[in-house]
Amino acid sequence: MPKSIPVDPQAFQRAGELSFPRIPLHAYDRPFATELAARGTKQMVDILRHMMLVREFETMLGSFKAKGAYADISYVYKGPAHLSLGQEGAAVGAALALEPADHIFGSHRSHGEFIAKGLSAIAQLPAAELRQIMEQHRGGALLRMVEAQLPATTVTSTAENVLLFGLLAEIFMKADGFNGGMGGSMHAFFTPFGAYPNNAIVGASAGIATGAALRKKLANEASITVSMSGDGSTGCGPVFEAMNFAAMAQYGTLWTDARKGGLPVLFFFSNNFYAMGGQTIGETMGWDRLSRIAAAVNPQAMHAETVDGTNPLAVADAVARKRTLLLDGKGPALLDVECYRSGGHSTTDANAYRTREELALWEAHDPIAKFAAQLVAAGVMNQQDVDAMTAAVAASIAAVTRAAAAAAAVDVPADPTLIGRLMFSHEEIAVPTGEVKLLAAPDAAARIRQDAKKARHGIGPDGQRLSAMRAITYRDGLFEAILHHMMHDERLIAYGEECREWGGAFGVYRGLSDILPYDRLFNSPISEAAIVATAVGHALEGGRTLIELMYGDFIGRAGDEIFNQMAKWQAMSAGILKLPVVLRCSVGSKYGAQHSQDWTALVAHIPGLKVLYPATPHDAKGLMASALSSEDPVVFFESQRLYDTVEIFKPDGVPPDYYRIPMGEPDVKREGKHATVLTIGPSLYPALAAAQELEEAHGLSLEVIDARSLVPFNYDPVIRSIAKTGHLLVVTEASERGSFAMTLAANLTRFAFGSLKSAPRVLGSPNWIVPGAEMETSYFPQADDIIEIVTSQFHPDTHSNRRGIRNWDDRDLARKGL
Amino acid sequence: MSTDVVMPQLGNEITEAQIDYWSKSPGDKVEKGEMLLTITTPKLTMEIEAPASGTLREIRVPADEIASVGDVLAVIDQA
Repeated sequence: MPKSIPVDPQAFQRAGELSFPRIPLHAYDRPFATELAARGTKQMVDILRHMMLVREFETMLGSFKAKGAYADISYVYKGPAHLSLGQEGAAVGAALALEPADHIFGSHRSHGEFIAKGLSAIAQLPAAELRQIMEQHRGGALLRMVEAQLPATTVTSTAENVLLFGLLAEIFMKADGFNGGMGGSMHAFFTPFGAYPNNAIVGASAGIATGAALRKKLANEASITVSMSGDGSTGCGPVFEAMNFAAMAQYGTLWTDARKGGLPVLFFFSNNFYAMGGQTIGETMGWDRLSRIAAAVNPQAMHAETVDGTNPLAVADAVARKRTLLLDGKGPALLDVECYRSGGHSTTDANAYRTREELALWEAHDPIAKFAAQLVAAGVMNQQDVDAMTAAVAASIAAVTRAAAAAAAVDVPADPTLIGRLMFSHEEIAVPTGEVKLLAAPDAAARIRQDAKKARHGIGPDGQRLSAMRAITYRDGLFEAILHHMMHDERLIAYGEECREWGGAFGVYRGLSDILPYDRLFNSPISEAAIVATAVGHALEGGRTLIELMYGDFIGRAGDEIFNQMAKWQAMSAGILKLPVVLRCSVGSKYGAQHSQDWTALVAHIPGLKVLYPATPHDAKGLMASALSSEDPVVFFESQRLYDTVEIFKPDGVPPDYYRIPMGEPDVKREGKHATVLTIGPSLYPALAAAQELEEAHGLSLEVIDARSLVPFNYDPVIRSIAKTGHLLVVTEASERGSFAMTLAANLTRFAFGSLKSAPRVLGSPNWIVPGAEMETSYFPQADDIIEIVTSQFHPDTHSNRRGIRNWDDRDLARKGL
Repeated sequence: MSTDVVMPQLGNEITEAQIDYWSKSPGDKVEKGEMLLTITTPKLTMEIEAPASGTLREIRVPADEIASVGDVLAVIDQA
């Protein structure tokens, strides 16, 4: 059914002009006395103490980087220290307005935001809950360590020590750090306090926080997410993609009931005026005030405001107001929080890009000095109290530092594969059995009635191959597994470009839009980076996500999101975070160099991703079921040329019931004894054609093994096959250079060296661009190419003169870069 | 005079499609351009309009059956 959002030329061709909402600049004007009366003395004093803790913590890190010492402690800290000295008002002000269940997603410069959020949560959580949180984190190991090293009299003080120690030990990459030492300075998190992962990639948290907000909305949680990044991140495309994704009109126009309304995400920009050494205003960006960019996103201009980040009360006021809007379904929101980084970008910063005069001007706006003076002027504290607080904060940071510096390092030599094992949990969920909300019963979809009449096996009674209209295809196999999970697992949502009415560009989802509401299946903007980043955020918050990139060639558009975010969070969290995301990528053909590339090797190269590439309807269904059950992230490649393929291998065809095929198991598709042909993806079919011809013409039998999965991969069945045949050919449609086929061949040469009678061969596509449809058979490996290798190299006694067109000199081509 | 409703060419790779449902029954009046039936290919579902105004005389390929490109699906008697 088409949507009912009419595009009426009369409405669009009317003359007029656009107007924009007013964007307030520094509108906060509440008297200090009013704040004091409303917040009470304790909270106001705590604001100062929290800012001091942040500053002292970072001063300590800076001191280690500069001198290898802090107070009387010597320590060699080798990692990064992107400090936020001078920005404490922004961090503490934001945290003040957030509840523990609100989640912040940080940047490379987020120690301050992390500490502030933790301190704010500790101040709000009841003692019993705090105790429980600390007991549950890694079986209470961190709590025990802190209690022994840093005695405290109250649960609150203990929790503050856990927060500071857990973060510092993490920054020092110690085993007792919050992330087991696998995250470090730029990737620390502690979810029970609402401090979700910091991120070393500028702006990467924007999309992740947006996806997290989507999950909060779908789970009906009354809390928000905050994307924390700097002004420099407004130069990053993925940040704009994320803001648009968060602002999609469909949440208001098409989503219904409790799901109607915008995403509860706040884009919080700590605007310190510099992107490393580039000056955002006046040099590297077009905007004059950062909040202006919100006017480009939606008619509400994201309720944007520019606020004074040197005043924690102004920040808290703005965040609290935006939070109310977000909980009211009016998101997203944007805050431009102007503050000043008085320290360097990093400890190697020589301040070459700004003047001493400018630094001096901002000294008068130091958030800590300013706030302390206000407290003294209001009579809440005197200068002696302030000095005593400064000294007490320094003492507690020194104690935490001493303990963290002495904590045990991660002992990799004692357990050499420890880091590797943290990448995957290998856990699979059982398919839930509860009811999910549907628009209509499944058989309301013509597609489902149609598939029900199809033969399960692709060969008809008289031996002819059935058409895609008459037998279950690869496309249908995928659909059946996806339908089963969507029908039973409310946490699972699916989206991508034209996934709804169109059913995905290749019709895999066709019919689903008749059954599933918008909040389970929707069209996304053409924003590959946001598609993947939001999927990561949605999964980190407890959702499960099935996303589609129309063509595998668009992986480049989501490079960081696939390679650094989707792949790494499980390992960087020491296995604490789970990432159930399935990314479907179709591998094209016919459309040439930018629409037909097999990029499986690119993805398989990145640690942390499982990579599947089935070639038959039976395997497509069973592997998709495993992927959707997996707690680990999976990149699922599908060949566009195979969508209409029917099942010809399994005698009973594609089982109608739900089943899973374990990931990582290659499958012998045809048995033989004269050579082993290991295929990736659609290369299976030319290999079978070659096997048929070799059998008939030369009496040679090929053992054809379909890899099915690249990561993980069980070599044993292939090694057993080589022991029988003595020859190995690996066939792929990817360009040979750097392909996964090369990895398979290299490893199998080692693992099965004693059985090999000839050098293994890789047959892939040449190392040049994929040509158009008319030239494709000259490019992708064909049966003739396989026959040539088997007859001329493995079995020259056949004296076959059958030749493909690849009679080129590989060494000469390599010299020329081909 | 009568007009055949013919299974259209749906792109150069599609040879057959399934009839999802008929919006009209034999004997019904139809207007040229009115939605007459819905067909499905492996990739997409699409509507087919009446090629002429008149009375639907007969349906040759009922719902859920598969037809090939060029097959006569129905016949319309023109007034």
